[in-house]
Amino acid sequence: MIGPMIGRRFPLPLPPRVRSRIALGLLAALAAGAGGLVLLALSGWFITAAALAGASGAAAIAAFNYLLPSAAIRGLAVVRTAARYGERLWSHEAALHALAGLRGALFTRLALADGRTAPDLASGDASARLIGDIAALEDLIVRRPGIPAAAGTMLVGLGAAALAGWLAALLLAGVLALLLAALALLPPRLSAASAAAAAASTAALRAMLIDYAAARSEIITYGLAPRVTALLVAETDRLDAAQRQLARIEAASGGLLIAGSAIASAAVLLTSTAAAPLTALAVLAASATVEAVAAIARSSVREAAVSEGTERLRVLLSLPEPERAATPPTAEPLPIGIGTASVAPGSRVALTGPSGSGKTRVIEALAGLRASAHALTLGGTPLAAMPAATIRAQVALAPQEPMLIAGTVADNLRLARPSVDAAAMEAALRTAQLWARVERMPQGLDTLLGEDGGVLSGGERKRLSIARALLAERPWLLLDEPSEGLDGATEAALVTALDAWLAARGTGLVIASHRAAPLALARTHLPVSALS
Amino acid sequence: MSLHKAAGLAWTSDIAGAAVFAWGIATALEAQLAGGHDTAKGAALMLLGGLLRLTSQYGAQVLGFDEGRAVAQARRAALYPRLLGLAGPAAPALGATATLGIDHVAAEQARAARFAPVRKAATLAPVLVAIVIALASWVAALILLATLILFVFGMIVAGGAARTAADRQMASITALSALYVDRLRHLPIIRHFAAEDRIARAAGAAAEDVAVRTIAVLRAAFLSSAILEFFAALSVALVAVYCGFSLLGMLPFPAPENLDFRAAFFVLVLAPEFYLPMHRLAAAYHEKQLGEAAEKALAEVPEPMNLPRTGKAGGAIALRGAVVEWPGHRIGPVDLALSARGLVCITGPTGSGKTSLLAALAGQVAPSEGMIETLPADAIAWAGQVPLLLPTTLEDNLRLGRPDADAATVAEAVHAVGLDALLAKRADGLATLIDHHGAWLSGGERRRLGLARALIADRALLLADEPTADLDAQSAEQIIALLVAEAQRRAVVVATHDERLAAVADTVIAL
Repeated sequence: MIGPMIGRRFPLPLPPRVRSRIALGLLAALAAGAGGLVLLALSGWFITAAALAGASGAAAIAAFNYLLPSAAIRGLAVVRTAARYGERLWSHEAALHALAGLRGALFTRLALADGRTAPDLASGDASARLIGDIAALEDLIVRRPGIPAAAGTMLVGLGAAALAGWLAALLLAGVLALLLAALALLPPRLSAASAAAAAASTAALRAMLIDYAAARSEIITYGLAPRVTALLVAETDRLDAAQRQLARIEAASGGLLIAGSAIASAAVLLTSTAAAPLTALAVLAASATVEAVAAIARSSVREAAVSEGTERLRVLLSLPEPERAATPPTAEPLPIGIGTASVAPGSRVALTGPSGSGKTRVIEALAGLRASAHALTLGGTPLAAMPAATIRAQVALAPQEPMLIAGTVADNLRLARPSVDAAAMEAALRTAQLWARVERMPQGLDTLLGEDGGVLSGGERKRLSIARALLAERPWLLLDEPSEGLDGATEAALVTALDAWLAARGTGLVIASHRAAPLALARTHLPVSALS
Repeated sequence: MSLHKAAGLAWTSDIAGAAVFAWGIATALEAQLAGGHDTAKGAALMLLGGLLRLTSQYGAQVLGFDEGRAVAQARRAALYPRLLGLAGPAAPALGATATLGIDHVAAEQARAARFAPVRKAATLAPVLVAIVIALASWVAALILLATLILFVFGMIVAGGAARTAADRQMASITALSALYVDRLRHLPIIRHFAAEDRIARAAGAAAEDVAVRTIAVLRAAFLSSAILEFFAALSVALVAVYCGFSLLGMLPFPAPENLDFRAAFFVLVLAPEFYLPMHRLAAAYHEKQLGEAAEKALAEVPEPMNLPRTGKAGGAIALRGAVVEWPGHRIGPVDLALSARGLVCITGPTGSGKTSLLAALAGQVAPSEGMIETLPADAIAWAGQVPLLLPTTLEDNLRLGRPDADAATVAEAVHAVGLDALLAKRADGLATLIDHHGAWLSGGERRRLGLARALIADRALLLADEPTADLDAQSAEQIIALLVAEAQRRAVVVATHDERLAAVADTVIAL
């Protein structure tokens, strides 16, 4: 009953690899649980029977088959050990693979969402969900083999108790049923509020730490560290209080099991109708059977934390299942409409206007990065009505902020075209006037750049971003302040190379710049002020 | 310290309940074996034993949590000022800051709560169990101790490999976090180049890689527990076989002791308790490994620079051949001498080190070459890119740099940065409450708030990071005029890539 209930709650279908490990874990868990129970019960029977035989004289001793039970006891010791190891390993493997799969799948959904309409998840928040909240689901899988295995172990235990009479077995079953009901119902209810509070506090704390860390220099300058620390500590106090409540509930659940174990074994003892050896077997089996409930109890206690994690993942889960376009969008060059002006494929146009007049916003809207506030069309269709994939097939952007990903030079270039080879990279870098620099780097194209292009200067990052846009080979090139941070000579070389590149390919250009040299690439100038 | 002992002792006291329970079963079964049916006394002892165990274990877990909480509280109190008091390139990145401040502290807390108490119990409790068992059967106690020696040997072999694996795993989790933050941040450009499929696959592969590493750590940890389980099961089996053969009188050697049924059964039921404390220890081994790795990572957070908070405001501000560098980055050498007034612009695209150079001017980052002379912190005002917002009123937030500023000063600054229109829209005006996200503030408004705060602070040196970004043209002009006016009264250094601002500067440093 509880097993499938939890199983359904894992947010995505489990892959076969995970399911097979869960199945193996289940078998191992059953072997370990039942093996341990039989080991203890058989030992109790063996000693009691041996005492009985020992007291009954030489004939009874000679008739006593001691070889089989003593060998079984030693064999069970080995089986239990191996099975427990297998259970742990397989159930954790299943969980970790399932979580990794979920992380990848949710990241994919987020990545494949249309940037113009996707929920705006601050990256700290989204990564907290992808890392932290998903980790909270680990228990869901790890405990999964344990639940049916515990049920199997309980059946074995009930069978053993039945050797002491039907009343003994009935009482044990009664205690088990009460414990299961109590542990399935009480802890989740009692801990729901605390689990929600703990998750909310952790999320708040993460957001606060990220926000405050972004304002470090201010904190230092104004001496605000004590005040900010006090705010963080107040949040951690709430977290601690919630977690303390959860720890108490977990401890109380364990206490319930201990009480149940003592009561069940005493009840079996008092109601046993069998002889002493089987009574010994049944009593020890009863005590071990109740311990099997622990696997279910643990799941139940952590249930609240798990459902809280799932709840917080809902925003990501509610993103549509990624759909891949059946046919690649047309790469047939389309004219761009900016305001009333229609720009034919292959044309070169500069957006002009004072800084802050919205040139970057127009360029970013043309690139499909943001919803457009201006009247922009592609092939006569308003951009907003255009599928993102179609827009992307038309334009390649070198944005004002270079937007380099952490990785190597080649990783950044491959972003534009996965199949690009070293020669094409070199050619693009030469056009962007960056090849000389990359060539000098110890690992060349494979040099790690670090976050945001780390080792490169600002102007170099810009040129890498231009090389990337060239490699995309789209009908339109969008350049936003391409020569920012360049000296005059490099700027002139860049403009000459870009001019040749555009001419050779007949690629269209939309450029925004406040510098004269790159603006010379354009044939027509469009004032942005005329657009709105 | 006293708390520490308490949880360990509570775990140790669990043995008393176990012994009473075992004695109860043995007593009742002996009565039944003797043909009597007086099992009530034994059953009562079993229930009493259960009650004792319940109390010990509940207490141990609650006390253990409190111990962990105490460790976490002490750690956070020391760590948070350190994490937030570091500026410039040495400071952990945003994602790493959250990992250090939350996840690593939680790992340490779990170790203190779950591992430390059971370790205390693991040294004392087995000895006590052996003593209690020896009272009933010294041979059984000897069997247990003999398996213990083999077990300890096995653990020494298995333990070493686990540690290196745990360290590697911790590093890979941090790297995974950083990768996800980076890729999520650049999703717009990734989508633009239609590379989301590949990047998502790579992100999934990275998560899978961490899973594989984690499994390696767990394999080592589970091997340790398997060794433990083996000896625990073996010891019970050996005790059972010894007791059985002893009661049959069929021992292959002269009986070393006269064992009766009650003693034998008592020993059998109590024997698993001998390894139970170590079993609990093994169950908490994962927490120990993660806790140790976290402790190491936390110890590597650098100490903030020891800045003079107060001092002479009229001192010189100068950079002489100053170079700021960190792995893969190098800014400078920069030469600059600031007079008491004037506007200096540091230009260059994002990531070229403008903010780090500002931090160096604030004395928050030490140069690797050359020298930096600057004012004490209380003579510097900082208007950042993402100004700090504390969950209090707007007015309190404006006064963070000078809590005793009078109302007129605040109003003047709010007007100067052009925030009055915003205030007019809020019913509570300056008393409006905000949260640290600044929910209803736009990026530009938040920036202007930071600038107003810096003006209210009224310091000799004003450092502003991209003060005109996110602003419309008219607002930007207003801010530029304001900065030019301020530069008549104090030294103003601005990091910007706004050429209108650079055009009016007295000095421009291009990075």
